[in-house]
Amino acid sequence: MEREKKLRLNLTEEEVESLRKALGREPNDLELAMIDAEWSEHCSYKSSKPLLKLLPTQGKHVILGPGYDAGVLDIGDGYVLTAHIESHNHPSAIDPYGGAATGVGGILRDIICMGTRPIALLDVLRFGSISVSSHSRWLFKHVVRGISDYGNCVGVPTVGGEVEFDETFERNCLVDVVCFGVGKKSDLVLAEARHVGDSIILIGGLTGRDGLHGSSFASAVLTESSEQDRSAVQIPDPFAEKMIMEATLESIGTGRVRGLKDLGGGGLSCGLSEIADKGGTGVEIELTRVPLSEEDMHPIEIMISESQERMLLVVEGGYEEEVAKIFRKYGVRYSIIGKVTDDKHVTVKKAGTVLTKIRAELLANAPIIYRRAEKPKNIESLANTPRPDEPHDLEKTLLQLLSLPNIASKQWIYEQYDHEVGLKTVIKPGQAGAAVLRLPNNKFIAVRADGNSKHCYLDPYHGAAGVFAEACRNVLAVGAKPIAMLDHLQFGDPSNPEVFWAFSESVKGIADYAKNLNIPCIGGKVSFYNEDKVSGKAIKPTPVVAVIGLADAVETLKSNRLRVGSRILILGETKPELGGSEYYEGIHGLVGGKVPKVDFEYEKRLHRCVLKIVSLGLAKSLEDLSKGGLATALAELSIKSGVGMKIDLNKVPNTCERLDEILFSETHGRFVAEANVGAEDRIKRIAASFNIPCEIIGEVEGEYLSFEKGVKKIKVQLRELEDTWRCTIPKLMGDEC
Amino acid sequence: MPQFNINVIIENKPTIRDPEGEVIMRDLMVKNGYTQIKGVRTAKLLKIVVEASSSQEAKQIVSKMCDELRIYNPVVSICSIEETGA
Repeated sequence: MEREKKLRLNLTEEEVESLRKALGREPNDLELAMIDAEWSEHCSYKSSKPLLKLLPTQGKHVILGPGYDAGVLDIGDGYVLTAHIESHNHPSAIDPYGGAATGVGGILRDIICMGTRPIALLDVLRFGSISVSSHSRWLFKHVVRGISDYGNCVGVPTVGGEVEFDETFERNCLVDVVCFGVGKKSDLVLAEARHVGDSIILIGGLTGRDGLHGSSFASAVLTESSEQDRSAVQIPDPFAEKMIMEATLESIGTGRVRGLKDLGGGGLSCGLSEIADKGGTGVEIELTRVPLSEEDMHPIEIMISESQERMLLVVEGGYEEEVAKIFRKYGVRYSIIGKVTDDKHVTVKKAGTVLTKIRAELLANAPIIYRRAEKPKNIESLANTPRPDEPHDLEKTLLQLLSLPNIASKQWIYEQYDHEVGLKTVIKPGQAGAAVLRLPNNKFIAVRADGNSKHCYLDPYHGAAGVFAEACRNVLAVGAKPIAMLDHLQFGDPSNPEVFWAFSESVKGIADYAKNLNIPCIGGKVSFYNEDKVSGKAIKPTPVVAVIGLADAVETLKSNRLRVGSRILILGETKPELGGSEYYEGIHGLVGGKVPKVDFEYEKRLHRCVLKIVSLGLAKSLEDLSKGGLATALAELSIKSGVGMKIDLNKVPNTCERLDEILFSETHGRFVAEANVGAEDRIKRIAASFNIPCEIIGEVEGEYLSFEKGVKKIKVQLRELEDTWRCTIPKLMGDEC
Repeated sequence: MPQFNINVIIENKPTIRDPEGEVIMRDLMVKNGYTQIKGVRTAKLLKIVVEASSSQEAKQIVSKMCDELRIYNPVVSICSIEETGA
C-alpha cells in the first residue's frame, strides 16, 4: 500500500484488486488516481445506489430523472424546468466563504450545462449551536456571505431556504444549494458524447492545483489535520462564471453543441468518462492542450484537479470555429483538448505518448458496496423517554420557543440575498413557506426545501417522510400542486451499520411518500462521512427534500397578512407527538419521545383538499404547522401581520392530554387558515368531504396572542413576541436589532 | 505609552488563485497595451495604530488579534505583520 499512500488514495485493497482483475494488469499511478477520484463515494454512489433504486423516477412531467447533472421537467408550451441539489459541506467546513460560494457556482453550472438558464437558488444550511459556539457563528456568517456574494454577482436570486442549528453540526456544517433553471425543450443538451469525430472542448478557468483531491477529500472524514488540507480549497470567481453562463447558453444557439458537462467532483477524469460511458463512445485527449495555471503540473494533477468554473463541450466536428467565436467574444478561455472515438475507452496522451487507455465504463462505474444496516440499540429507549413535566408558565415557554434560533426569524439571512434579480420572484422569502416564481409561459412554480434532523435522529423513516410532507405542505399552501422532488441525503460514515440503518430507513420513508403521493424524484445527492473523527460523532441524519409545485395562477394567496375580524381555522388533528420537537429539545433539553408519524392515505386526501380550498379562493392565507407547532405558527402569523388573535384551544381537534402538547406538538398534516369573509363554512364542508378534521378555532383581533382552554389562559403581547422572534439571530451575530 | 504603526497584509496563499488580480492584469493592464505585466496579486492592507511598550509587543498584540478574531482564514490566506515608520 506504499504507493497508495504516496498518492493519498482512499481506495480499499479490494477495490484495487477488482481494478487489477478488470484491467488484467497492474494499474499505473495515473489510473489509480483517476479511479480513486471516480470511485469515491462522492462521485460513484457505491454505497447508496442499491437503495436509491427504491425512489420512483417516472411521472407525467418528467423528461429526465436522476443520473444527469439536473432533472428535467416538462412545464408545457415547449418549455422545460431543470432542477438539481448539491452540497459543499466539507469545503465549507474549512473555508466557509469560498466553500459555500463555490458550491453555488457548481450547481449553477449543473443547470447551465443542461442548456437552461438558472432562475433561482434555495439554500439549506446546518450549523452547530450559534448560541454557544463562536466557531459556528463564524461558519454561519461566512457561509451566508459566500452564498450571497456569489448569487448576487452572477445575477441569480436566492429565493428561500431553511436552516437548523444543532450541536452535532459543530465540526460538520452542511451547506446545500438547490438550483432551478428554465429553457426551451428544443435547447436541451445532455452530458453525452454520442457522435464519433466530435471535438471535446474545455472552456473556462485554468486547471490548477486548487481543489486537488477534492472528491476523495469529500469522502474522507474530517480530522484536525483537515485544517492543513490546503490544496482542497477552491477559490470562487463569480464573474468568470457569469461569462461562462452567457457564452455557453449562446453557443447552444448554434445547434453545434451536442454535449455539455460541468466539471466538478473528480475533475476531467470524471467528466470525460461520464460523457463517453453515457454516450456509448470513447474519448481521447491530449494533456498539453489543457490550459494550466502552473506549468509543472503532473498528469495526475491535471486529470483530477477540481479547479472551478470549467466545463466540457462536445462540438460537432467541423464547426469548432463557429462555437469558438462566441467564447472569444465573452473572453472565455477555450481549448480543443481531444475528440470522441468509437473505442469506448478514455485515452489520455501527453505530447503524443499514451499515458493510459482505460475502459470508460470501468472508470464511471465503481463496484457496489453492500453495507450492513443495524438498528441502533438506543432507538427504542429514546422513543420511550417519559414526557417532561408541563411548565407552569406557558407564556414564558412560548417566548423561549420563539427565541430558539431554529424558530426565530431568518430575516438576518435572507435580507443578505438578492431575491428579486431577474424579476421572476412573485412570492419572496418571509412572505410564505414556499417561494413562487413566474415561468415564461405564465405558469408559476412554487419551490421549497425542508429538513428536520431532530425527527430523523429519533425515527429516520417517519422523520424523512415527514420532511417530504412538510415541503409539500409549504408548496400546497401557495396553491401549487407538487409535481417532482429532489432529495439530499446527508449522513455519517456508511461503514457504521447504525449510520447505514438510518440512511436506509430515510430512503424508504422518502420513497414510500413519493410512491403514495405520486411525486417522482428527479435528482438528488448523497453525502456521507459527515462526522468528526476526533470525537467520533456523526451528524444527526439529515435528509433534505426539495419539492417543486406547479400552478396556473397565484393571485389567490399572495399575502399572508391577517385582517382584523377574520376567522382562523385549523385543518388536521393534533396528536401528542413531541419526540424531536423544538419544545422538547429547546425548552426541556430532552432528546427522545415519539416522532410525528406520516399517514400516507391521509396525506393523499389532504393534498386534494388544500388545493381545492386554494383554487376556490376560500382562504386568505394558509400556513403549515411544523417546527414549534400550533402556537409558533400562529405567533408568526400574528407577528408578520401586526395583529393579535384569540384562540379557543377547546375547539382544536386533538387527542392530547395536556395543554403544552396541543400548543407545541409537531404532528404532520396540519394547516391554519384565515378564511375569507363568509367562507368558513365552505372550507369546513370541503374538509369534511375529504374526511379532514377542520374547526374554527378563533378570530383575528387586538394586540395580544391569546389561547384559552376552559379556565386556563395564555396571553402574550404581540410586541413582546415580535421582539423575541425578530431579534434572536441578529443579536447572536452581534448586529443591532 | 508609545504608539506603533503596524501594517497587516492579508493575501491568498501563493498556491491559491486570485481572480481579482487576474482580472486587473488581463482587463485593465494587458488589454490596454501593458503586455510587460506578467502577474498581479491583490491583497488587503490594514494600517493599525497600536499602543504598546515596544514594537515587538505591538506586533504580538496584532498577531494574536488577527488569529483570535479570525481577521483572516489561515486555510486560505497568509497574514504578514510589519511595523512601518509614521
